[in-house]
Amino acid sequence: MIGTLARDALLVSLAVIAFGLVIGPVAIARGKREWIPLSYAAIYTNFLLVTIATVSMVVALVTHDFSVAYVAQVGSRATPLLYTVISLWGALEGSILFWGWVLAMYAAAVVWINSKRPGNLVPYAGTALLGVMLFFAILLIGPANPFGVVSPVPADGPGPNPLLQNHILMAIHPPLLYLGYVGMAVPFAFAVGAMLSGEVERDDWIRITRRWTLASWAFLSAAIIAGMWWSYEVLGWGGYWAWDPVENASFIPWLTATAFLHSAMVQERRQMLRLWNLNLVVGTFVLTILGTFLTRSGIISSVHAFTTGTIGYFFLGFIAVVLISALVMVAGVSDRLKTVGHFDSPASRETVFLLNNLFLTAFCFTVLVGTLFPLVAEAFRGVKVSVGEPFFNKMTLPMMVALLFLMGVGPALPWKSASPDEVKHKLLPPVIGAVLFAAVGLLMGIRNVYGVLAFACTGYAVVANLREFYIGSAARRSAHGEGWFTALTRLIAGNRRRYGGYVSHIGVFFVALGIAASSSLRTEREATLEPGQSVVLAGRTARLKSVWGREEPQRSVIGVTLEIMNGDVVSGKVEPRMNFYPMSQQPVPTPDVKSYAAGDLYANLQAFQPQGKNATVKLIWEPLVPWIWFGGGIVVLGAIVGIWPNRRRSAA
Amino acid sequence: MRRTMFTWSLIAAAASLAFAQNAPSAPPSDPKQAGAISPEQIQKEGKSAAERSALNMRTANDTALEAMTTAVASELRCPVCQGLSLQASPSELAQQMRGLVKDQLAEGKSPDEVKAYFVSKYGEWILLSPKPQGFNLLAYLLPVLLVVGGGAFIWVLVRKWSAPPVTESNPSSTDSAV
Repeated sequence: MIGTLARDALLVSLAVIAFGLVIGPVAIARGKREWIPLSYAAIYTNFLLVTIATVSMVVALVTHDFSVAYVAQVGSRATPLLYTVISLWGALEGSILFWGWVLAMYAAAVVWINSKRPGNLVPYAGTALLGVMLFFAILLIGPANPFGVVSPVPADGPGPNPLLQNHILMAIHPPLLYLGYVGMAVPFAFAVGAMLSGEVERDDWIRITRRWTLASWAFLSAAIIAGMWWSYEVLGWGGYWAWDPVENASFIPWLTATAFLHSAMVQERRQMLRLWNLNLVVGTFVLTILGTFLTRSGIISSVHAFTTGTIGYFFLGFIAVVLISALVMVAGVSDRLKTVGHFDSPASRETVFLLNNLFLTAFCFTVLVGTLFPLVAEAFRGVKVSVGEPFFNKMTLPMMVALLFLMGVGPALPWKSASPDEVKHKLLPPVIGAVLFAAVGLLMGIRNVYGVLAFACTGYAVVANLREFYIGSAARRSAHGEGWFTALTRLIAGNRRRYGGYVSHIGVFFVALGIAASSSLRTEREATLEPGQSVVLAGRTARLKSVWGREEPQRSVIGVTLEIMNGDVVSGKVEPRMNFYPMSQQPVPTPDVKSYAAGDLYANLQAFQPQGKNATVKLIWEPLVPWIWFGGGIVVLGAIVGIWPNRRRSAA
Repeated sequence: MRRTMFTWSLIAAAASLAFAQNAPSAPPSDPKQAGAISPEQIQKEGKSAAERSALNMRTANDTALEAMTTAVASELRCPVCQGLSLQASPSELAQQMRGLVKDQLAEGKSPDEVKAYFVSKYGEWILLSPKPQGFNLLAYLLPVLLVVGGGAFIWVLVRKWSAPPVTESNPSSTDSAV
């Protein structure tokens, strides 16, 4: 029933998209401005129709309508409501549906917010988004149709993949990821709009594009951090990043988007790098589609790979279409984008942005090469090879350290030109931070070169960034006689983009310290304990209190309770478990984490004896890992500051 | 009562598994790996648990061996995981293979010989970073080339852009691309 409704909605949406794709360009070509609202109407109608299909799917999942193929695949009567709802994105077809819905929403939001803007930029951008939408609508009707009919209707289903119903972050990480990933279609659409409408020769479009990019970037940043957290909380190995192809797929476009957020400022300020920025925007979008192809086609095995079928060919075809048409468009406008390059001095923020773009692009390229290399090697040599953590660490750590250093140099140097005196005055004081942080790192016990360098460069950049807040607030204080707090908040409110950027930098520093410390200083201990016995790790004592079991509707749980002792006083507890799902032969390890400011005590249940005689637990001391999650929050906060609409304040 | 029994029968089942593997693991499906070693073989070829723990006791102070084991185990892939190393993976097979690494190092084999042993059993696939030779050099050199070439390009560009214009009316037109 509801499946039919949804199928019909998707079919109608295909027609609506086709109509919108025709009417928009025709209206522009014939100069009929009054027809353009028809194209917008198509975008809104499409959003409505895809919303109907998506809501139908959620209803079908919640009501256990197993006549719908997707529900029969991922649903189960025993699964709790929350995990039933979020199994919407737990397998291929549902995730494509959700993807299409997010895209339809973005398209509607873009035209809704910008419809008053004169010129053809927005109509063309809307058309470009409809073009992308067409691809997903075809997928939903063809190879990724979630509304197939199952007959006879099964009484119950297997339930979602156990890994995807084991942690609440599964409700948070995927939507954020889609919002970030799909959102990169918007800057691409504006780029297409700018090229087709001729606005590409002015630099106004870059402002609006940067804003949308920043929004998607914030979602993508949050999604990557949430994904790391999920991996840490669920997979039981105590790590948060394994250079898994899918992690890489989310990270690769993040790097080019980050590069664009910086280089766009050069274009706004100096009317340079126009062609380069265009390429970054197009490249970021293509990389998101490539990432989707890699992870959804089953060509690369990964935690996230929902295999299979013909969908890979559709993606390859789409990538080819996007690449070729984008290349043709860029080639068409490139002559008009040649600008007079002029720097006042090599010692300027512009130069730092160029280097920032070099390292971010190289970083992106390295991760891309590493991710694709197994495929390439198999094709050319016929030999299976692996490209994993040692490769990525070796290749990217120098770039990460360089980027951290540049994060200190860029904010310190002024635009245009810095006199030698100014360079000295700006770039020398942060060295104190570098020395201090390196000393702290060494005292903590970090001995590897990159760990110490990461601490030093972070220290340098921390001082440089905080100094910007200090100098600005101090100037306001003496000019307006404001208190420190007022001066600081008004400083940020007065130039949100700039200071929001510095706030995000500070978030990155927390992340960097967390990664440097946890990857250098992690200690672990495995012990088989009987109740009452304890084990000491990193100065903390954990005592096994009990081994227990309990039944839950969708699973059986075996767990242990470990008390964390502070002398004779119990100061906390961790309860690592194993969850047994009927559809999975292997138990799903469910570690438990006790967080302190200095790090996490991470406990994983490895094995246990029948009747609870003893249990083997692995305890890991993870220094500064909570700083990564905290820093991720600060990064997003900075982006929100930067996006926040600027209300005109009467000049005081 | 029945529930409790069910629970404890699960416990028994899990205990026989001894240890949760790092899900979501798929067994290696590559036919080339058909000759790969099984856990049983590892136990046969390696030391028995008792022997190994005795060995561990003897070398308890030998932090150098432990460090070397960690280094080698970080370079080898856990065959049943998603790209985790023997060092990182909590799966039983990986732990046994790590024990094998340690045993071989303790017997005096060099890290390269230990890696070569695993390559002979599993193929190149077992190495987490491809050997930097022949075709594989591409993966290592391309990023370096990009950084060096891009750096040189930026150097030239910045110098050119920063040069004082000869006359205001004759600006040198340059491509804006980086």
